[in-house]
Amino acid sequence: MIKSMKTRSFIYNTFIHLILSIMSVIWLLPIAWLVLVSFREEPGAYTPYLIPKSFTLSNYTRLFTETKLFNYPRWFLNTFIVAVLTCLISTMLILLTSYALSRLRFKLRKPMMNIALVLGMFPGFMSMIAVYHILKAFGLTQSLAALVLVYSGGAALGYYISKGFFDTIPKSIDEAAMLDGASKSQIFWKITLPLSKPIVVYTILTAFMGPWMDFIFVSVIMKDNYRNYTVALGLYQMLTRENIYQYFTRFAAGAVLIAIPITIIFIYMQKYYVSGITGGSVKG
Amino acid sequence: MKKLFVAVLALVLVTSMSACTKVKEKITLKVWAPQEEQVLLASMVEAFKKANTGSEYTIELGVVSEADAKTKYLEDPEAAADVFMFANDQIKDLVKSGSLYEITKNKAAIIAANVPGSVEAATVGGKLYGYPMTADNGYFMYYDSSVFTATDVKSMEAMLTKAAAANKKIFMDVSNGWYIASFFLGAGNTIKIGTDGKQVVDFNNAKGLAVGEYIKSFTANPAFLTGDDNILKGGIGTTIAAGVSGTWNAADIQSKLGANYAAAKLPTIKLGGVDTQMGSFGGFKLIGVNSLTKAPLAAMALAEFLTNEANQLKRFTTRSLGPSNIKASADPAVKANIALAALAAQSPFAVSQNDVLGTYWAPAEAFGLAMETKDYTKTVQQLLDALVAQVNS
Amino acid sequence: MESTGKVKSFNLLKKLGSYGLMFKKGDFFTKTSFFIMGFGSFMRKQLFAGIALLFIQLTFIVFMSTSGLKFLTGLIKLGTMTQGKVWNEEMGIYIMSKGDNSMLFLLFGVATIFVVIAFIYVYFANIKLAYTNQQLIQEGKRPMRFKETVNILLDEKFHITVLSLPVLLTFMFTIVPLVFMILIAFTNFDANHQPPGNLFTWVGFSNFTSVLWDNPLKSHTFSSLLVWTLIWATFATVLNYLFGMILALMINKKGIRLKKFWRTIFVVTIAVPQFVSLLLMSRLLADQGPVNLILQSMGWVKTFVPFLSDGNVARVTVIVVNLWVGIPYTMLITSGILMNIPVDIYESAKIDGAGPIRQFTAITLPYMLFVTTPYLITQFIGNINNFNVIYLLTGGGPLSLNLYQAGKTDLLVTWLYKLTVNYQDYALASTIGIFIFILSAFFSLVVFNRSSSVKKEEEFQ
Repeated sequence: MIKSMKTRSFIYNTFIHLILSIMSVIWLLPIAWLVLVSFREEPGAYTPYLIPKSFTLSNYTRLFTETKLFNYPRWFLNTFIVAVLTCLISTMLILLTSYALSRLRFKLRKPMMNIALVLGMFPGFMSMIAVYHILKAFGLTQSLAALVLVYSGGAALGYYISKGFFDTIPKSIDEAAMLDGASKSQIFWKITLPLSKPIVVYTILTAFMGPWMDFIFVSVIMKDNYRNYTVALGLYQMLTRENIYQYFTRFAAGAVLIAIPITIIFIYMQKYYVSGITGGSVKG
Repeated sequence: MKKLFVAVLALVLVTSMSACTKVKEKITLKVWAPQEEQVLLASMVEAFKKANTGSEYTIELGVVSEADAKTKYLEDPEAAADVFMFANDQIKDLVKSGSLYEITKNKAAIIAANVPGSVEAATVGGKLYGYPMTADNGYFMYYDSSVFTATDVKSMEAMLTKAAAANKKIFMDVSNGWYIASFFLGAGNTIKIGTDGKQVVDFNNAKGLAVGEYIKSFTANPAFLTGDDNILKGGIGTTIAAGVSGTWNAADIQSKLGANYAAAKLPTIKLGGVDTQMGSFGGFKLIGVNSLTKAPLAAMALAEFLTNEANQLKRFTTRSLGPSNIKASADPAVKANIALAALAAQSPFAVSQNDVLGTYWAPAEAFGLAMETKDYTKTVQQLLDALVAQVNS
Repeated sequence: MESTGKVKSFNLLKKLGSYGLMFKKGDFFTKTSFFIMGFGSFMRKQLFAGIALLFIQLTFIVFMSTSGLKFLTGLIKLGTMTQGKVWNEEMGIYIMSKGDNSMLFLLFGVATIFVVIAFIYVYFANIKLAYTNQQLIQEGKRPMRFKETVNILLDEKFHITVLSLPVLLTFMFTIVPLVFMILIAFTNFDANHQPPGNLFTWVGFSNFTSVLWDNPLKSHTFSSLLVWTLIWATFATVLNYLFGMILALMINKKGIRLKKFWRTIFVVTIAVPQFVSLLLMSRLLADQGPVNLILQSMGWVKTFVPFLSDGNVARVTVIVVNLWVGIPYTMLITSGILMNIPVDIYESAKIDGAGPIRQFTAITLPYMLFVTTPYLITQFIGNINNFNVIYLLTGGGPLSLNLYQAGKTDLLVTWLYKLTVNYQDYALASTIGIFIFILSAFFSLVVFNRSSSVKKEEEFQ
């Protein structure tokens, strides 16, 4: 009976919409609190109430005007530059590596996959000091270039997600192209990549986000070079015992500002996050 | 001939004159200080350059907080500053790793000029390794003078009764090795380093047991509140009537309490019927010289300059940091500072942290936490035994 | 099929033997290539390869003679000169003489070893090239020109082009530090042996024996933390994955409107830096925090809920908060892969009468598991080592006197971190790290290589 199927579908969909709404509220609550705190006028990291007593924009403006102690604008710029460069380099590295491991066959392929899987498993804190000294040997310490290198350097190890995606693209497409005389390189750029938009979006997004979030590596590499700090490290400094009372609200404002470029990028990339085209091309 | 003679004489004169004006020695130094100190530091460095025109100084400033100094130093000793500010609890590790230059120049003068506690904090194995800079990293009792009188705050029992009556809380972060030591130290327990270099505490003896039982009843008292600095600052004046903390919170607490702002040394606690004064840890900030520095004399001169009486006083006026210099702390402005006065009153009972090793903190915190959460599955004696076992291992 | 160790070493000998053969059979050009790299290529008009190889050889020789040899010999003793001081009466201070820095000796020694290995590899490649060229000429063919090599690199050997930069970077920033850290476990680099004042040196396996045979409190702590770490990793990985996938399915379903809107909401939560969100959470859930205040004011609880201060409740809290942190990520990943499942499979299943749940278990789940097995393994291992979430949320607390310097939510890694920070005992940390590493590596390699994703890889494609 068509009618009951339609109503069943309708109830089902409404139910799902309801769940999604509830989940969204839960997920957004802490963010909402963060935003509220960023507009709060009273200082302090602990208040026995949720809604601020008075609202102000001064937390945001002071981030940009009171730069003697915390040079937020400069850090923001630093992080943006590092993020863009890292994003470009990392994405290329990851996609190329996963393509090679997924599509191409060569002697060292299996061992390489195993090694890459295993490399990230050593819980090491000394690695940061080692990396710092390696960079120092090349004269690259305390610079943004060093940060970009560090963030992109280990990027290829994250190949497995993209590779999993590439594995789902049927080989028949590749074979058809090879019959037409395309080289492996051409296949990658002209066929595989356009089909992989969701995973490209994911890779770009995560690569871009990394530098905004890390405060451990940058602390070791930048040391005392205050002007080259990234936003994450700078915000973290606002939370020291001496600073937290006066700066918590500004910390919240700073954190909100970080979320903005990332959200914008995702909204922009949503256009490419379309449903699989592969189904169609195999049928056809 | 005469002309030639005059010419030669002139030439000799000129060359000897140029030999007299020596080329100025160029010295480069790097200084590490926290972000809040940078502006003040810049002006002090300029003053140093003006006072020492004998050499050409290039002084670079870097931002490293006192708490991070040791970590940042050990990551790359060669890239570390020549002169850096650090908290005194790092001195043992810094000396052990050979990071600090032993101070031998003007040593007697430095020792005489600063408060004994600060000198002791800067001394390891009888040798001086740091220039004392501040003497205000200890803790005491802030209180709301509209709730407590100056007599009330002399005894913890009196405070608890009054607080309960006014339905307010007394705040103390008992689950914190730094604060909880005040009970034990006041009662006469000790934290020492044994001959094998390991930590030795005696918190589980009869004295310690009495203290442990006291902490148990203290944390069970309805007027007791625990938490961190943020809770204290958020509730003082409203729900909290008194709290144990240090000078870093003075400004914020003062702004909240306004006219009712007051502070005093820690109260006495009744142990076995006897009023026993609570002890505390005294903390100091020091300036150290990098043992790998290429200009030791200049670095020491700079460090000594930054910690002299005038500059310590300047630091007090700009940042309210309590000086370690004896004459500076006798200054009426310093004496009038309520928080510093309370700290000074507490300092005779303060113990230096120099003998506290890394193993002490976690077990002490765990004990305090068990008391705060009223986890009475084990007896106090058992808990103290476990604490001592872990710390002494 | 993986060759066994014995067969592998036999192959190596065979290979070395074959190079010896190349020398014997080689003509003048090839023989000279053994000593002047690139000679064979150069003489046979492969100008680019020839010059490049010669350049590499010269650089290597310069490097080794200036610093390389020093670094290698430094590895033996890890420094001999300790920091010294001499009293200078005139200046009134001690004059310090710099000691050796054992840590740097170790690090640069390791780096040099890798450089030497890389050079040896290039050296043999150079010989092979010369010999191949010789054979080609004997057969009457011409050695490859530059343009032809480039073409091959873009087609048959595309993998070389594509992987060379990632491999180089990985070596520099991951592998060399890793070997460095592993070697530290064989030294006595602890608080008493800190540079710049002290040297440390090799102590063989003594760290390992002392960890395994040490006091009962430490072993009890190790085992209970291990159990909790595994429980945590399992729940964190499985729950995040399942719920993320379900969420992705819900959003992707036909008939759901505002797909972009829902996705964006969840992405916003990952756009805020993790340490900020975790810090917020730890404030929100504190004993005197807003969540407790609301619950109390609504009368749902009488006194505060010890979200983070009671051992067992804290463990649940941590898993739940990790859901909040992780589900947006898993949703994104599974979303992308889900979209690639051909719609016709579902169509035919529906025609066969399969309901939504059956479709899920028979089609979606197996497909997803297949594609994401490596991801799941890595997530599991990642959660075993998930320092951030635990440390920022609870600091590993609440501390317990039953555990040695550890708390109820401590993972092995956070415990390790605390030990290092409190004791500066890097050697101990590396030793325990190696144990964790061996466990994780063994587990993941076994599962990965036996799993269907690797076996059926070709079939699937």
